[in-house]
Amino acid sequence: MSVDAVKATAVLEQLRGAGAVGERASALELTQLEGGWSRHTYALSVEDPERETGVEYIVRVRPADSVLDTDLGQEFRLYQLIEDEPIPSPRVYGYEPGEDSAFGGPFFVMDRLPGGAVNVWRDRDRDLLQGDWEGSRTLAADFADFLAAIHAVSPEKLAGAAVARDFRATVARWRGIYEEVRLAPDPVVEEAYAWVLDNEPEPVEPRLVHGDYRIGNCLLDGGRITGVLDWELASIGDHRFDLGYMSLDYHGGRFVAAGSPLLGAVAERDWFDRRYAAAGGEPVDREVTKVFAALGALMLFSIMGTGLRLYADGESRDIRAAWSRYVFPGLRSDLIDLMGW
Amino acid sequence: MFNPLRADQLIAGMGRTMRAAAAADGPADDYARGQLLSAYSISRLLASEVRAQPELLAWLRGEALAALERSADPAAAPAGERIAAAGDPAAIGEALVDLFAELRREGRDSELRDSLHAVLREMAARELAVLAARPEDARVGSG
Repeated sequence: MSVDAVKATAVLEQLRGAGAVGERASALELTQLEGGWSRHTYALSVEDPERETGVEYIVRVRPADSVLDTDLGQEFRLYQLIEDEPIPSPRVYGYEPGEDSAFGGPFFVMDRLPGGAVNVWRDRDRDLLQGDWEGSRTLAADFADFLAAIHAVSPEKLAGAAVARDFRATVARWRGIYEEVRLAPDPVVEEAYAWVLDNEPEPVEPRLVHGDYRIGNCLLDGGRITGVLDWELASIGDHRFDLGYMSLDYHGGRFVAAGSPLLGAVAERDWFDRRYAAAGGEPVDREVTKVFAALGALMLFSIMGTGLRLYADGESRDIRAAWSRYVFPGLRSDLIDLMGW
Repeated sequence: MFNPLRADQLIAGMGRTMRAAAAADGPADDYARGQLLSAYSISRLLASEVRAQPELLAWLRGEALAALERSADPAAAPAGERIAAAGDPAAIGEALVDLFAELRREGRDSELRDSLHAVLREMAARELAVLAARPEDARVGSG
């Protein structure tokens, strides 16, 4: 049993304020979970005499050394607004905006959904996903259906809860960060920025874009997706970004060695495209998807580059940021393939 | 090859992680375990990288210079001089970034760009192969 009393009290205050727990509720355990680069995540077990069973919550924190300069409050509002959409997502409770909170930054609290996350860079997790594909394909179906559901959310509903950004603005955002944080000039990245602008797709009506849609950001339980998480990169923009980003070989588990042959380690590409379209998504144009895949890889260069810059400058001691330099060779290879060199 | 952080920065980071783990009270949580596993992963990748980098750097320099010598573009010779004098991969990367920018700005010599793209493609493949090699498979004393 492990409880940081100051942190636990801060979370219980938020939960009581939202009417989620009673006055006599107390914290049983609070532990920091492994995942999270731009957000830190804690799991809290609560005992509440006004309920028969214990309750589990997740605390999502924006730390001072976050690799993303995104608004946690906006993310909180987005979770609230999609609660009634056919997308499995946790109910959120209080939001604490203070930089000097008990967690060292703004945080909000949400339900802990059943299930766990997979890591496609681990053999056993890719085997689990391969098993679904060769068997029931329920995970694969959920993965396509929930993406179509995300892209069907009315953008009007999300006013103020997600930034609106068109293609050029998205490229400019990630290029600006790349130039600001880069520690080493990268000729492949520079050429890729020119290539995506040379191949700018015809615009489409803006939609909700998850921004980091991959199976590793979903919770899985009993062969189904029980939660779509990690919305900090969500925007109103070109939904084809999600289709490109998830198609990177990196998201199929390629690190320095090959990963799964399946799209995103989940499904065969043709099958996924048909399923996505059957669920209401627009037909997928592979050539356009390539451009967004390259843009997705460039986004990762910028995000991980930020972590590396913070680490190099001594503003972060998270060794995972240093480790992320070894993601770059594979991403560079992804870009080279996409550009057809 | 154009990856941020030097070997000495990575080694110092691994040391800090180990010290933090040794100084921690009680059992490690998921986050702390993740830190240690990341440090372990760096140690393996860095071992492979350090062993292969001189050979990979020489190969990249040689292939890039050969591509530049075949070109009549006026930017090729100055870029070649920079690459020949470059002391590390970052300096070669910087010379290529500047050369590509000039070729793009002037809208000329796609042949030179194509041949340098082919060099970078092969470099990326070789670097991945190096990193995928298990460090324990390297023979003691081999270069």
